[in-house]
Amino acid sequence: MTKESIAYSLVCVFILITTIISLMVGTTFISVQQLWQVFSAQRPDLLATVLDFRLPRIVAALIAGGMLASAGALSQAVFRNRLADPTILGVTSAGELMMLLGGMILPAFGLQKFMLALIGGVIAFALLANRQTMQHPYQLIIVGVALNLTFTGLQQLFTKGINVGNNIGFNGLTWSTVWVLLISGCIGLVAVLLLAPWANDLKLPDDQLATVGVPVLAMRLGLLALVIYLSADVTSAVGTLPFIGIIVPNIARRIVGYDYQTLLPFSMLSGGWLLLVIDTIGRTVILPSEISAAVLLAVIGGPFLVYLVQREGFHGITSR
Amino acid sequence: MELRHVDYSYGASQRQITDFTATVPESQILTIIGPNGAGKSTLLKLLMGTLPPEHGQVLVDNQPVAQLSKRQRATKIALVSQQHQVYDEMTVGEVVKTGRLPFHSLLATIPDEEIRPFLTQVHLEELIHRPLQSLSGGQQQRVWLAAALAQEPQYLFLDEPTTYLDIRYQQDLMSLIKELNRTQKITIVLILHDINQAFKISDWIWLIKQGRLVAADEPVKLLDAQLLSTTFGLKVEIVTVPDYGPYIVQLSD
Repeated sequence: MTKESIAYSLVCVFILITTIISLMVGTTFISVQQLWQVFSAQRPDLLATVLDFRLPRIVAALIAGGMLASAGALSQAVFRNRLADPTILGVTSAGELMMLLGGMILPAFGLQKFMLALIGGVIAFALLANRQTMQHPYQLIIVGVALNLTFTGLQQLFTKGINVGNNIGFNGLTWSTVWVLLISGCIGLVAVLLLAPWANDLKLPDDQLATVGVPVLAMRLGLLALVIYLSADVTSAVGTLPFIGIIVPNIARRIVGYDYQTLLPFSMLSGGWLLLVIDTIGRTVILPSEISAAVLLAVIGGPFLVYLVQREGFHGITSR
Repeated sequence: MELRHVDYSYGASQRQITDFTATVPESQILTIIGPNGAGKSTLLKLLMGTLPPEHGQVLVDNQPVAQLSKRQRATKIALVSQQHQVYDEMTVGEVVKTGRLPFHSLLATIPDEEIRPFLTQVHLEELIHRPLQSLSGGQQQRVWLAAALAQEPQYLFLDEPTTYLDIRYQQDLMSLIKELNRTQKITIVLILHDINQAFKISDWIWLIKQGRLVAADEPVKLLDAQLLSTTFGLKVEIVTVPDYGPYIVQLSD
């Protein structure tokens, strides 16, 4: 077996094991035997706990993690910058701000949160992507961080510092939200796999790509639209989850290499797994209360980012 | 491929190319030489169609190059520059596959088998899965050459391809280019800094100065110290080196 196929097999096994553990643990502990009984319709008393509380959360974590990891990897390809992640660049906080403002001033309409998050993402990228930031990787990150702080600050301003917020996260997720996320997420992930060759092409400079006759700008905008779609979709369902888009693709590069056609599917699987682990830990470690996945990710992701930038052999922000 | 009365300027005042008329000899090796700022690279871009001429026409197969789609152009003309940048780790195979992009739909995955012949042509077939950055400068330049060949071009342009190579790799690359020209009849257009290299490898030379064509002829007919001195603006002597032939020496003060 090649190194890649071992890595793929391992992450699939991890997902399976973590899913089972995650179904078992919580306020009521359910043994493997009891789980079996639940699924063979012998324990109606536990059915609601498993199917209506734990399972939707697990599905949401797996799909959202996969989407965020792919969005991160694609955004790194578009910006040619290993740190370019929608949560760091302010794309998701702009989405949250739009959701908050829209919720205050607009009447409710179908897919409202998603549409508003999408608009926020487009605004953030419009402010972010220009000749200067494309050519100076550090400038991109600094502008992104500044935008992120601004959008977050504005959210606090409009809520007077009280987190009435969009009141989302994994806690209390219902199937109605999860189904929407699952279907829209799968569409997004299929698009990611289809467009993966573009991410590879963008490793070449624009003038070089122009000599082989490919429409560079269209490719870049297409991938960027996909990044916004994925980020907005997750943000509107479960809120901002930082750092997955940085941690996962950068570790995945070391495991399966730099070809986006391998890297993206592997990032999806590992992103889903990581978020499921984080959420399972978060909801069980201080029972009966819980720590949100976003907080745990920030605690892990911050130090990882520091490590990534300061690591020996890190060639600045762009890889070359 | 030919240029007819082509003018080009950067901005309003700076005329780069003036009334340039010349024909690229098919299936031969043409080298463009001239002092710095003479307009060599601009000329190459005009020929490639990446710069539009201000006046006049650039024709490929009797068709204005500007009328070709980007894809059509990419299957006729390929370019190897003096230095290539990549923004992420790429394997040798991935680089060469980019040369196949004009032949596929944008979403296609290109199989390894398709690019092996081009790596064989540059004698690097075993390195297909190696990271580009792990190769020497000379090998890297051959990888880019393979990527250009993968475009199956009629015309192969090389813009100072040997600039960053040491002398042995320069000779390797030059003999490879000669071999490709002889075996596959690809028309080669070179820009070279090393004037002796140019005279050695070329079938035809364009001597240019200040955006104008000074002379276009076979190398032997351009071995004229007076002509070269005035073109390059410094004293030139032509000496004969045993077992090599005429050698152009540029004398500085």
